[in-house]
Amino acid sequence: MTISRRTFLKDAGLIAASFGLSPLLKPSLASALEELATGRAPILWLQGQSCSGCSVSLLNSESPGPAELLTRYLSLYFHQTLSAATGPSARKAVEKAIGDKNTILVVEGAVPLGMQDACVIGGEPFAELVRRAATSARAVISVGTCSSFGGIPAAPPNPTGATSVAEALKQVGITTPLINLPGCPPHPAWMVGTLIHLLKVGVPELDEHRRPVRTYGQLLHDLCPYYADYQAKRFATAIGEKGCLFKQGCQGVVTRADCSRRGWNGGVSWCLQARSVCIGCARPGFAADPEFPFFRFNENASQESGKEVTS
Amino acid sequence: MAKLVLDPLTRIEGHLRIDVRTEQGKVAEAWSKGEMFRGFESILSGRDPFDAPVITQRICGVCPVSHAVASCLAVEGALGITPSRNGRLLRSLTLGANFLQSHILHFYQLAALDFVDVKKILAYQGKDPVLKEVKAWASQELASNRVLPLAPFLPRIPGDYAADTDWNIGALTHYLEALEVRQEAHRMAAIFGGKMPHTASLVPGGVTCGVDVEEVENFRSRLRLVSRFIENVYIPDVLLAARHYSGYADIGKGVGRFLSYGVFEESRGIYLPSGTVANGRYASLDSSKITEELAFSRYEGDTAHPSMGSTVPQSGKADAYTWIKAPRYAGEAFEVGPLARILVAYHQGMPEVRTEVDGLLAATGLKAAQLDSVLGRHAARALEARLVARRMETWLDELEPGKASVTPYEFQADGQGEGLTEAPRGALGHWLKVEKGRISHYQSVVPSTWNFSPRSSETSPGPVEAALLDTPIEPANEGMEVARVVRSFDPCIACAIH
Repeated sequence: MTISRRTFLKDAGLIAASFGLSPLLKPSLASALEELATGRAPILWLQGQSCSGCSVSLLNSESPGPAELLTRYLSLYFHQTLSAATGPSARKAVEKAIGDKNTILVVEGAVPLGMQDACVIGGEPFAELVRRAATSARAVISVGTCSSFGGIPAAPPNPTGATSVAEALKQVGITTPLINLPGCPPHPAWMVGTLIHLLKVGVPELDEHRRPVRTYGQLLHDLCPYYADYQAKRFATAIGEKGCLFKQGCQGVVTRADCSRRGWNGGVSWCLQARSVCIGCARPGFAADPEFPFFRFNENASQESGKEVTS
Repeated sequence: MAKLVLDPLTRIEGHLRIDVRTEQGKVAEAWSKGEMFRGFESILSGRDPFDAPVITQRICGVCPVSHAVASCLAVEGALGITPSRNGRLLRSLTLGANFLQSHILHFYQLAALDFVDVKKILAYQGKDPVLKEVKAWASQELASNRVLPLAPFLPRIPGDYAADTDWNIGALTHYLEALEVRQEAHRMAAIFGGKMPHTASLVPGGVTCGVDVEEVENFRSRLRLVSRFIENVYIPDVLLAARHYSGYADIGKGVGRFLSYGVFEESRGIYLPSGTVANGRYASLDSSKITEELAFSRYEGDTAHPSMGSTVPQSGKADAYTWIKAPRYAGEAFEVGPLARILVAYHQGMPEVRTEVDGLLAATGLKAAQLDSVLGRHAARALEARLVARRMETWLDELEPGKASVTPYEFQADGQGEGLTEAPRGALGHWLKVEKGRISHYQSVVPSTWNFSPRSSETSPGPVEAALLDTPIEPANEGMEVARVVRSFDPCIACAIH
């Protein structure tokens, strides 16, 4: 097989199409990508309490694909999983990136404010490193639900006092513009699309949780292919049955994300197409309530929860 | 006597620091330090047992399917659920796809930059349009006034990179190609898994999606593409690396004890066998011999079997130098991973593995004892990718379209289970207890917990700590030799600690 041979402008057009932008925007979008390509907007990618799933998801980007992301679109100044630098040279690269005022800081993973030694890089507690980097950065992007809202590390009993990046910065008064891109992991297009928007147009319109409205503006439920089943009250109760999965615990009704329109991994499938429920992985309250199981197969009717949830 | 510290050790998953003390140009002592703790086991406590595959996948974004399978097996054991035949096969196909993406990612994106001189692209004179573009990009980057030109490929640490220009440029081409092939393997995993990373469909009892013939052939078509890369690019590249860096067949010898839990459920039995190999002899696995020791790990408590153990963090604990526990089998450190799986299968007498390994030894001129090395680990990983990719075709053939992929069950409120499988990096076990319908106990012992474990006593180093001993160190290389040994184990530190 050969690797992709798409041209720069064609890529810009594909991205424009994939984000539903007007064709008139193509030329300016192309220069946004060039700006990324020439390194005027370098990326410092730091990992806190993370699983690297957001990074792996970024490598699943389609048009631009991963090789093009690395060589044309991103100046990936430092990334724990991809950088050739290691040890002292890695620490120097991080410091150089922090010293560049144009750096966009991307943070993956939560910040263990309650236990400083629960995440240490180069001898420095992650909380200190991320605050230092955020102070000088042009903008901060929290990728994934852990860095956006605390995610699973912050789920009860939150053994390390894990918090979102926004909370860790707020506590010391850092006001660098910050965007949250929740999702466990976030779809690669959410990350790449937001970066491009940030560079060319500026910070996209954000909602009350600092999520781009263009990506998180609608409930998954509103775009769901099983919406007609929901309206007709055709509910699947056992695994494998036809119908809407609401009664199995599907959280599409409270989760803001465009999975139902976009699909995952090149569109081969997504959670509901695989007849599983939406687990609400992009929700602020993802995994936060142990009483609220992802699959409602095993609970008695009397245990059904009527709690308020945040989408 | 000098000390060398690699922190952070990059191009791995997670937060790893390696300290070595050198004497007369060789490593005399080593410390493996895991630097990030989240506390998954306490987060699982009190939850519905069906939450376990969802939560535990988030331990690791590189090998989530392994955690899903281990937790499904543990819950099935605890609640008396028998997974369906289709469910077993779909799990193995999804897990197999995860193995292929992980092995390819490891060799090219994580390990290759230890061996490949990317700057050689500047000398490229050929006509390949992609390479011409990469050369133009590299030249433009190096001529720019950026503070970090050609990132993330530069800066790098000095090393004895092979001089052969064509080989270096070929390997760089394959680095870029591998990015797309591993992505294809993720699409395969998503066909029945719903999405990757972190599948949606793996539940106790099987898989939520059905078996549709169109999807089966969609999967098979992508598998053929990935298989072609493994056969024609990955395996030849590993053999060429073995030629350029033949000294690494004698560097990185570990504890010499290997363990596998066995992996890939088939319609009957398991594909790769469980067992241990010590002193070149196979023995069957007895999971009751597994313990985790805590002398140098930041936790309270005593040595225990994971069905009884705990994870109570104790930051600032005296003498402790890592968040990684120290798993031991019958009191001893064991290496896990592709090399362990291949050696266990070889010494158990599995014919196709014997053929592959004997073929490798003939092709490289390596002696069997030299498999326990940096090169041996890379080669075993590549051979395993070939074996798994071939076997996946038979799993596709055995699927029964139209039949259920998940078994109906009666929920039991109490039980205890053990889920043993393998992740790309080695033996993975989950142990849980369910009381009154809720998880009351959970412990995971993960591949990199085994390999990157600290000492259990002053005389019992972990497998990587042992493998680093006697590694020759050239001070000008800033620890490159250490990094090569460490990366041959394919560390995943988010997994190791969780």
